[in-house]
Amino acid sequence: MSEPATIQASASLWQPRSAWGGAPRAGRHGAPGQAGIRLTLLEGRGLATLVATEGNEAGLQTVLAERFGLSAPEAGGAAFEGERGLVWSAPGQWLAVAPSPHALRDLPEALRGLAAVTDQSDGRALVRVSGPQARALLAKGVAVDLHPRAFGPGRAAVTSIAHIGVQLWQRDAGPSYDIAVARSFAGSFWAWLEHAAAEFGYEVATVQG
Amino acid sequence: MRIRCPFCGERDNGEFSYLGDAAPRRPDGLEASAQAMHDYVYLRDNPAGTIRELWYHAAGCRSWLVVTRDTRTHAIESVEPARDVARARRSGEAA
Repeated sequence: MSEPATIQASASLWQPRSAWGGAPRAGRHGAPGQAGIRLTLLEGRGLATLVATEGNEAGLQTVLAERFGLSAPEAGGAAFEGERGLVWSAPGQWLAVAPSPHALRDLPEALRGLAAVTDQSDGRALVRVSGPQARALLAKGVAVDLHPRAFGPGRAAVTSIAHIGVQLWQRDAGPSYDIAVARSFAGSFWAWLEHAAAEFGYEVATVQG
Repeated sequence: MRIRCPFCGERDNGEFSYLGDAAPRRPDGLEASAQAMHDYVYLRDNPAGTIRELWYHAAGCRSWLVVTRDTRTHAIESVEPARDVARARRSGEAA
């Protein structure tokens, strides 16, 4: 009689937990009126860091293009086809982004000897910041010029917001920006984000994959 | 002060951490005299003027950089990847 209960209890202990750790509350928050900010939590994405081995960047580019249809962008770039792409992280290093971790499963074998591939799907929290006030919001924390004359769709930066390391890239001219933050900092980052967004009024939503 | 990272562009110096003079070269620890190691570890010039120094872009691309800076004005003359500087030095030695 106690057996089914035990199984149920242990099964319930192993629920996947969002990288945001339950900090965000879905819905409409902050100043009334039309929401200036939309925060979309991107859940279930596949993420991996690629670090080219010495002298193999050209070979890596070829395999990425031929086998995966991906181009590894230059410094400060992000190259996307839909929700799949590569974001520059450092010289010879990129962050691979895909709709699911499963979509990245062939990378380590295909890039053997060309790049070190490290799964980060559970290591980073991802949020998309959009809405008419998105740039005004980010201007409060990002010491990189995001004005269209200096930044735009397909541009990326590794920097910090509120002393928290972030990787951000612009997706479209809406504008919308994707921000990746180390999972262990997600709670602190969210605290900054919702305080910074409050004056504009903001909506929080979640999308899977 | 801002530093123009060759990879990330111009960034606030809060993104960087400072190591110091880029000139000292580590002697071979097994061969060098105690005096040579002492000089390498402790002795630094403190020029009023141009110095080449190592900075690390910790909050950005995590690259080591060699920054040529005027200590009187903080004017930065050039910023090079430390990796390129080391390679050029090594190939100069080999030649």
